[in-house]
Amino acid sequence: MDLSLLSFIVMGVAAVLLSAVMITRRWPVSAAMVLIGVMTLLAGMFGLLDAHFAAAAQIIVYAGAIMVVFVFVIMLLNLPPEELRYGGVTVGEMILSALGVVVALLLGTKVGRGFLTTGIEQLGLQKPESAPHLHRSVFAESENVKNVAASLFVDYLWAFELISFLILAAAIGAVVISKKKGAEHANAA
Amino acid sequence: MLMLPELGLYFSFLMFLVGLAGVMFRKNILFMMLSVEILLNAANLAFVSASRLTNTIDGQVVMFFVMAVAACEAAVGLAMIISLYRTKASIEADDLKALRG
Amino acid sequence: MDATAGALVQFLDSNVGLVSTIGKIAIALVIALQVAPIMVWVERRQAAFIQRRIGPNRVGLFGFKLFGLGQPLADTIKLLFKEDFVPKHVNRFFYILAPIVPAVMGLLAIQGIPLGKEIVVAGHTINLQPVSVNAGFLYLFAMSSLGVYGVALAGWSSNNKYALLGGLRASAQMISYELAMGLALLPMVFLYGTLDLQGMVAAQTDTLLFGFLPNWGIFLSPISFVIFVVTMFAETNRLPFDLAEGEAELVAGFLVEYGSMRWSLFFLGEYAMMFTLSALTTCVFLGGYEIPYLPQSQIIAMLTPIVSAEPATWITALIGLGVLIAKVAIFMFLFVQVRFTLPRFRYDQLMRVGWVYMLPVALVNLVVLALIVGILRLT
Repeated sequence: MDLSLLSFIVMGVAAVLLSAVMITRRWPVSAAMVLIGVMTLLAGMFGLLDAHFAAAAQIIVYAGAIMVVFVFVIMLLNLPPEELRYGGVTVGEMILSALGVVVALLLGTKVGRGFLTTGIEQLGLQKPESAPHLHRSVFAESENVKNVAASLFVDYLWAFELISFLILAAAIGAVVISKKKGAEHANAA
Repeated sequence: MLMLPELGLYFSFLMFLVGLAGVMFRKNILFMMLSVEILLNAANLAFVSASRLTNTIDGQVVMFFVMAVAACEAAVGLAMIISLYRTKASIEADDLKALRG
Repeated sequence: MDATAGALVQFLDSNVGLVSTIGKIAIALVIALQVAPIMVWVERRQAAFIQRRIGPNRVGLFGFKLFGLGQPLADTIKLLFKEDFVPKHVNRFFYILAPIVPAVMGLLAIQGIPLGKEIVVAGHTINLQPVSVNAGFLYLFAMSSLGVYGVALAGWSSNNKYALLGGLRASAQMISYELAMGLALLPMVFLYGTLDLQGMVAAQTDTLLFGFLPNWGIFLSPISFVIFVVTMFAETNRLPFDLAEGEAELVAGFLVEYGSMRWSLFFLGEYAMMFTLSALTTCVFLGGYEIPYLPQSQIIAMLTPIVSAEPATWITALIGLGVLIAKVAIFMFLFVQVRFTLPRFRYDQLMRVGWVYMLPVALVNLVVLALIVGILRLT
């Protein structure tokens, strides 16, 4: 994994995350500034894809002129922040639930799990002769942690995530059940 | 490991989804325009990645045109927002229902 | 000890690109950060001489008066020890972010300037331009166009009508004159046939114009030079275009809510941008780091018998850097001279000059030079 691939991945993930942050802002100025950050990251990615003129044009034209017009209009009109609730659900909650659907699809379907675990063969694990039906169940005296991890996060991924939800539910339930009556009013807000 | 341009296409897809969510879920016209800018940027990234993948330069040329079109659209859209704000003092999409039958 | 030294040398040898880039960026940053203190002193002394007084000449170092060269140091220490406040009524995040933007962009823009031709270190030839991309000086343009946001954000975040107006006016002025600046540089791209600043400097030392003039851009296209210098003043918000930060109007404009080190960060950015644009002017119009009639290859050839080959390149690079800084100093002197000589433009006059006078002249200049270059290349 050389430096250019690593920086491309970092910039790409940051760009997607920042654009998700942008659409959940209340203040228009913050959204415009975050969008400028996204465009700068995109310019960096263009540079890594050997499109130098595109990178320079992206910053000069998009981030340096188009967004300036946006920022002018926002600042001149003094636009108020927007209330982000639609029938009791905020935009952040909507996006998180959409992400939850994606995660469920990734973990719950065979295709999703196959996508998540590509490249696992490069770990160099060897299959035991005694259990050919278990894809990655390897028992060796050394590398125990590695074998457990390989099985846990590949073959039993769905169960792993469900167990983590179970623990979270148990922790919250324990806190709620053991709360005193009077403290409920203080925490109602 | 994946090559850079393929990764670029994946990221472009994800950014497009985010922009689409922004356009669908935000009711402020200015935020809708900002989300449209995200959509256009995602398309630009896809074009440049495709240009790198197929070793042709046309993707970058088209990206330049998309950028120019985005500039024109942003300018006209913002001018409309300004005049809208002057007459109605609000740029929420829900308040623009004068033509509703 | 020997093993680590050997390993270090091997690491440096195999990662020459990375190490040399980091070294060049560090050198450029050091040079850029020295500009602001020196310019503070130069500005005050030169202003004093223009106004027939003496200026600060008492603050020296180690007991020597030194013409008041210790004044910037004293100013910096005072600003550092001043109370760093964030007023309650401002938008805190953008108030803190706003001074950082022009400073960082000014320091980033300097990385595109070629500091010399090349040096040879241990057999590796290192091009002395910190950021050498295909897009050439467009990188510089990109960084300076991002610097507009610092001014706009400073004005808006101050939560103050006058600051907002000043900030918006300043950013409108900067983007208006950016157009004319780019159009003034385009004919030079035609003439030299390259976007890269190293290539432009090399093209200016190759031949002699009319047999006796050096092939400098200022002789090839004086109109471009004039337009570029005027827009340079507008880009850096210096007089006669400094309505946004004017001391007499708008009470220091977009800077009104800023004090101590945040205020000085703005000026660091302004001086860094002045230095960058002056360096860009010298590289495009005045031959950059090359001495006229004495190209660097000739200097290397003269020095090689005295010292060996590699130190000859180092000494030549130092000479080139000195030449570049001397030429930039001419423009910095010009900046200060104009500031205390010309009156300030009113805002509508400023915008009219930018759009009605500069832009058509730059466009006509571009078309005419394109035609000339096209005809010359055909014949």
